[in-house]
Amino acid sequence: MNKVIDRRTFLRGVGTTMALPLLEGMLPMGALAQSASKASKPIRMACIFVPNGLSMAEWRPAAEGANYALPNLLQPLQSIRSEFSILSGLSQDNAAALGDGPGDHARSTACWLTGVHPRKTAGADIKNGISVDQVAAQKIGSATPFASLELGCERGAMAGDCDSGYSCAYSSNVSWRSESNPVAKEVNPRLVFERLFGSGDKAGEAQSRARRDLFNQSILDMVMEDASRLRSRLGKKDQGKLDEYFQGVRDIEQRIVKMENLGKQMALAESKKPTGIPPDYGEHIRLMGDMMVLAFQADLTRICTFMFANDGSNRSFGFIGVPEGHHDMSHHGGEAAKLEKKRKIDQFQIEQLAYILRRLKETKEGDSNLLDNSLILFGAGISDGNRHNHDDLPVLLAGKAGGTFRTGRHIVYQNHTPLNNLFLSMLDRMGVRLETLGNSTGKLNQLF
Amino acid sequence: MAAPQPSTPRRTRIRGWVGDIRLLALATSLAVTASAGLVQSKAKSKADPTFAKDVAPLVTKKCLTCHKGKGSPAGIDLSKFKTQTDAQKDTATWERVATAVSTGIMPPKGSPTLTKAQRDAIKSWVDKLVSSDCRLADPGKVTIRRLNREEYNNTVRDLLGLDVRPADDFPSDDVGNGFDNIGDVLSISPLLMEKYLGAAEQLSKAAIKLPVENQALYQAEEYGTGRGEYAALTTRGEVAFIHDFKPGIYRIKVRAFEDHAGPENSKMLVSVNGEPVQEFQVTARRTAPTLYEMPYRAQFGKWKVSVEFLNDFYQPNNPPANRDRNLWIDYIEIVGPIGGNAGLPESHRRIIPSDPPAGKEREFAQRYLRAFATRAYRRPVSSEELERLMAVFDLAKKYKEPFERGMQLGVQAVLVSPNFLFRAEIDPKVNPGAARSLNGYELATRLSYFLWSSMQDARLMMLAGDGSLAKPEILKSEVRRMLRDKKAVALADNFAEQWLTLRKLEIIVPDPQRFPDFNAELKAAMKEETKRFFTYVVANDRSILDFLDGKYTFLNGTLAKHYGIANVQGSEFRKVSLEGTQRAGVLTQGSILTVTSNPTRTSPTKRGRWVLEQILGTPPPPPPPGADVFATDGKVASAVTLREKMLFHRQKPECATCHQKMDPLGFGLENFDAVGAWRTKDGDAPIDASGELPTGEKFAGPTQLRNLLLKDKHQFVHAFSEKMLTYALGRGLAPADRCHVDTITKQVEKSKYTFSSLIESIVMSDPFRKRRTS
Repeated sequence: MNKVIDRRTFLRGVGTTMALPLLEGMLPMGALAQSASKASKPIRMACIFVPNGLSMAEWRPAAEGANYALPNLLQPLQSIRSEFSILSGLSQDNAAALGDGPGDHARSTACWLTGVHPRKTAGADIKNGISVDQVAAQKIGSATPFASLELGCERGAMAGDCDSGYSCAYSSNVSWRSESNPVAKEVNPRLVFERLFGSGDKAGEAQSRARRDLFNQSILDMVMEDASRLRSRLGKKDQGKLDEYFQGVRDIEQRIVKMENLGKQMALAESKKPTGIPPDYGEHIRLMGDMMVLAFQADLTRICTFMFANDGSNRSFGFIGVPEGHHDMSHHGGEAAKLEKKRKIDQFQIEQLAYILRRLKETKEGDSNLLDNSLILFGAGISDGNRHNHDDLPVLLAGKAGGTFRTGRHIVYQNHTPLNNLFLSMLDRMGVRLETLGNSTGKLNQLF
Repeated sequence: MAAPQPSTPRRTRIRGWVGDIRLLALATSLAVTASAGLVQSKAKSKADPTFAKDVAPLVTKKCLTCHKGKGSPAGIDLSKFKTQTDAQKDTATWERVATAVSTGIMPPKGSPTLTKAQRDAIKSWVDKLVSSDCRLADPGKVTIRRLNREEYNNTVRDLLGLDVRPADDFPSDDVGNGFDNIGDVLSISPLLMEKYLGAAEQLSKAAIKLPVENQALYQAEEYGTGRGEYAALTTRGEVAFIHDFKPGIYRIKVRAFEDHAGPENSKMLVSVNGEPVQEFQVTARRTAPTLYEMPYRAQFGKWKVSVEFLNDFYQPNNPPANRDRNLWIDYIEIVGPIGGNAGLPESHRRIIPSDPPAGKEREFAQRYLRAFATRAYRRPVSSEELERLMAVFDLAKKYKEPFERGMQLGVQAVLVSPNFLFRAEIDPKVNPGAARSLNGYELATRLSYFLWSSMQDARLMMLAGDGSLAKPEILKSEVRRMLRDKKAVALADNFAEQWLTLRKLEIIVPDPQRFPDFNAELKAAMKEETKRFFTYVVANDRSILDFLDGKYTFLNGTLAKHYGIANVQGSEFRKVSLEGTQRAGVLTQGSILTVTSNPTRTSPTKRGRWVLEQILGTPPPPPPPGADVFATDGKVASAVTLREKMLFHRQKPECATCHQKMDPLGFGLENFDAVGAWRTKDGDAPIDASGELPTGEKFAGPTQLRNLLLKDKHQFVHAFSEKMLTYALGRGLAPADRCHVDTITKQVEKSKYTFSSLIESIVMSDPFRKRRTS
């Protein structure tokens, strides 16, 4: 009879302590199996964002090179210190005011992965650049069912103009697929899971699934007709909105085709999937991290962005003894008590990062592991939350890009070296060869 | 394409005339520049101030010391204005100047002063500069708007008659200009597109039922002790699950077999809700599992269905083939309710009123898909559009699926079509750049999404179709009808929640140590209070000034206790008089006091800023970079009270300008703690709720603060009108909208400030009824 049942049975046997069972050995087909057996393994790339800057005094190692003493803040990463490098001196100078006045939180979020100075507007005429993840997605995203995955733990803003005259679109999105089109993120782990693996089609419904895909294809064909008729009757700005629609439909069409190819592994949906957003913030972050790891592992996507929170977030961290708001504490004004609280928050964030990196490392892939075949960028758009500066940003790069990057070091670049230089190097490892990206001045040296 | 726009970023333009720094423009800034007033003033103008004669010399002498060149304070560089023509190119800056000067904020203390006559001269010159004739003003162009999450939920509710909220799982809508219904920032990501497709499929299947549906398959191994693909009942176990039954006749089918042993066959008992339905002798063997079927008459409800093994047999001494009797279950299928249309939901009959006569399915489908799409697209459907829908419908037949499946596909396609997801206003290709009146359907759509955040109802569609909606009397009476409708609660859900920043309540976590009483229940009650208050003003057409000082509110026991108001018990909310208390209006409601506080303490600055921005429409500019650095000064840390700490804001001129406006307003509310409870002490220090505004006016406590705000009610009405117009249009306001806001404000003031007069004035205004063509 149907083998899906065996898999289900297997999954029931997996312990529940892990948020999700590992998938190795259960993916008989698809890109992962192929790639794991062949020499060229796909490189994955993730950009993990934290808000309100970091406690730089506790972050930046004193010494350069491999034998630096691990600073206070990085202690949770002790056991995997050889798996990442700290890169100092990288900057996003276009996140600075440049005559636009205040609004650093929004501006630096929008600038973090684009290197572009976003246009100051509360609504009309949103303009930013294309972010590095989307540059990669547009070049190599077609290799996987999902060109990219956007995750977060906070929804977009609740009200108001988000930061000093900047639209909330800027402060809640690091991923931008075009100048005016931020890529919305998913904050509910259950919905991420269902998106990746389907919401639980029953065994034996493969045929009806194929039928459904076929119907959906036809419906999409039809609405594309509707859209192009509509588009031709609209003004230019409105046409831009319709273009987003077209892009969205095309994405789905491609996915339907690829999902067919991937076939039955999607029926995994009956394993222990998350039930929703857990009340515990740390668990929420870790669960989203699990989703990222899972998506990478099953090669459903190779590109992910993950915002622990939106910039300017004033979340209270009462559970680690910081009932005050994060943003309030980031404006520590040099006060010892506030600095200590900001440090606690940052340490908590680093602990979550450590969990995600360990999960990647524990996930075997052929004779190496997922972390070795990844590039995980962790950082913030603001350096010191009190000063709101965007030079010498906190940047941690984990993973060896398939063994082509050397990790375990503190590399110091000249301050104001564009962060986009790092992006160029990362893209290169992803197989996207570009000479320039925004304000880049060349690829970053010393990574090899 | 759009008419040429000044190159300044829009935000600057808008903020400019709303007035970054226009504050409590008490008395001094009451000069109204509505178009009607303009005509009169032109007639009697004798010696209007001019730029060259009156303004330029003052600017040179009093302003240019600081406001000159790049990096001028507040970004206001006045040295670039050499002539009247220069000034006309950037009226926004001059509005800020007029506000600052007329309210005494500028020039700052210690700088050259201006006489009253000089201030008036600048103000009246600027008023003339910025005023325009409403009749000629550009009505603006609204960018095509996709439905936001709330609108999507409401629309599918009204369209399909289903009680579901699929958009709760959609990604957040981005916010621009303070609201999440702004066409410019509402974008579509691939994620959202997927959600649209998925939601459309689920909605179409929930709305329309297939003839032989109601078939549910339960894989037994998931509901009992699984062995591979079967559940194995080896002793006295059972396979059990919950099924959602509708009233009617069902068939229950169990696929099973036994390991035979002993003198009899396995006995299998099927029960629902603990009551036996039928007992079977299972004779089938592993090589040929068999379906055991039974009828069942179900009552409505979720009942437990169980399959039990009644007669275990085990004789270890027997030969293996006759040793162990086990019952194996493959799956249980539940089919029903069977027959008739009794089980069809209302949503089904709304789309397909009756079953199609044999052979006429396609005509039938065409007729009802047209009707459905007309409602969904909020306008008549073109024959091309209908043909495309029919092509989708035809798929079902091609794949030998029933008529209803075709209708499902048609409905799904409609719900994914851009014609449904977007509210498009399509301009005829004549006279690009000219203003045109909206057609009936466009107007009806704007109206229903403004007041209901949803699609128009049948009556609006009819009035749109026969053209009568454009008639002012009909339009006005529709506004009144719609405001009385229950769906007008959408104004509280969407407008009020965003205007009053209530949605921030969701993410605020007051320190549980300091505020142990604050919990989810209290939080919900706070939000409910404010929304009920708002809804009451709408439904009873109260004065919008009630938002400032309505001496009543809506409380339940939890909230009344929190406020220290006696004699309100139980979970029901009721209207409660606030006479004799210090509370009135929205400003003293727990929700707002909480969202404007820090997790551990009150923030007079945040509260003051909230009043300036949400109530008076004059948000202060954000702090300059590095504004917090002075906090390192040991003096701040050692200051005892919050007020003392706040005084440090005044020490630096770049801070003082704004904080002398914000902080006093917030201090007026200091008697309310960070979760809105009344207090007279902060720690050991008595609360000092006094303040002094930059104009020199002094006050103490919330009541006097409210009286000051009321004294300048024009400012509030103007600001409220701006916000409501922004929400109504779904776009940021532009300079050309100014005269319309002035007119709306005037009409509200003439109409005893009633809520309906505001809505009516907005609906009747050119920006609402017209658009500039592409």
